[in-house]
Amino acid sequence: MSGRVIVITSGKGGVGKTTTSANIGTALAKAGNKVVLIDTDIGLRNLDLLLGLENRIVYTIVDVVEERCKLKQALVKDKKNPNLSLLAAAQTRDKSAVSQEQLKDICEKLKKDNDFILVDCPAGIEQGFQNAVAGASEAIVVTTPEMSAIRDADRIIGLLAAREEIESYKLLLNRVRPNLIATNDMMSVEDVVELLACDLIGIIPEDTGIISSTNKGDPIVNDEKSLAGQAYRNVARRIMGEEVEFLNLEEDKNIIGKIKNFFEKTIKEIKAKI
Amino acid sequence: MSFFTDFYNKVFSFFKPQENVESNVKDVARSRLKLVLMQDRTNLTPKILEQMRGELIDLLSKYVELDKELLELNFEQEGDQVALMLSIPVIRAKDEKEIEEAIKKDALLKGIKLADDEDEPDETSEESEVTSENGEEITQTAEEGESVSGEENQESAADNNEEQAAVENEQTESSDNESSPEAV
Repeated sequence: MSGRVIVITSGKGGVGKTTTSANIGTALAKAGNKVVLIDTDIGLRNLDLLLGLENRIVYTIVDVVEERCKLKQALVKDKKNPNLSLLAAAQTRDKSAVSQEQLKDICEKLKKDNDFILVDCPAGIEQGFQNAVAGASEAIVVTTPEMSAIRDADRIIGLLAAREEIESYKLLLNRVRPNLIATNDMMSVEDVVELLACDLIGIIPEDTGIISSTNKGDPIVNDEKSLAGQAYRNVARRIMGEEVEFLNLEEDKNIIGKIKNFFEKTIKEIKAKI
Repeated sequence: MSFFTDFYNKVFSFFKPQENVESNVKDVARSRLKLVLMQDRTNLTPKILEQMRGELIDLLSKYVELDKELLELNFEQEGDQVALMLSIPVIRAKDEKEIEEAIKKDALLKGIKLADDEDEPDETSEESEVTSENGEEITQTAEEGESVSGEENQESAADNNEEQAAVENEQTESSDNESSPEAV
């Protein structure tokens, strides 16, 4: 078996890299794939929290690199899904604790008996990013429809395009708010895709359920009713090669729009009568 | 009655802004981003772009009579490639005599400017022409460019750093691009 190594990156912090990693990883594992999530945000680890595994971590990626344990010992199995495991970042060290070669080496080893290795990249374009990208051949660039996130994503796309090892990179547009797009307060999905000139792999709507799922340590893909969960499950299916249509997020926009149009018309009529 | 009109206006403005004000927000964001992304991708500041535009007009004016006001220089994106789009409204093509004259005049002008520069380097545009004149020898050009801007640093303390950085940038970038057509 030779697994695929996919790095999840964004440039800007806080756009949802770690949430995306946890959810895509969980969804891929639920679909029957063997998945390892690697948290490369050494010093600021969070992927363990999102998966609810923070109390189970004994060894970290730094322990593996410094040979205090074997790679297999450091892999923490998920509570619900035995197909999913996490290689956690160390919290007490910094980005220089692991080198590009060491990360590449870990990815190569994990490829042998896993279908997917997802690398959660730290924010920024410095060493942490360079390390995370080192072992990957595919990338998912997470961004939101906001100015700064898009600008940073463009930088990241430029850096990824310059790397020969990266065979493909796709855009994941996170925290999309259809009601704001409807009132022209937020750039639409088409606007962002046109600006960044990058293929889409997913559109994730803003969902307050993400907050409670993070608080519980249970990724939102496990919630069958959630729209964001559905969107993440679709991303996983697209990664597996299926053709899945993008969710129609504009449905409720139309309802709101209709109500507003109705009011506006009525008011105009009243105005005409006066 | 005024109470009613006030109330009406308030209610109306609650529904209205999405047409007037808010419809612009997304477009503002889009056009701001478009510009900033092009600048990020190409590493060119608006000042340098303006200079490039000016030099292109000078160069092309030798061969054709063009409408300088309507000349457009833009970066456009086609797929994942960035292209430099130059739209030139041509009024008429010049004949051979005119072209020859223009070239001679241009060469003469540069010769004078070059002599001026050695005495007192003052204007940015003149400096850039020094580099393009000697563009054939790139290493030499780069050295000269540095020394010129160094002098400028000392002489005109009023100029801000940004401007000087832009000049240095422009010199290194222009040296290989513009040397061939300008040094005819």
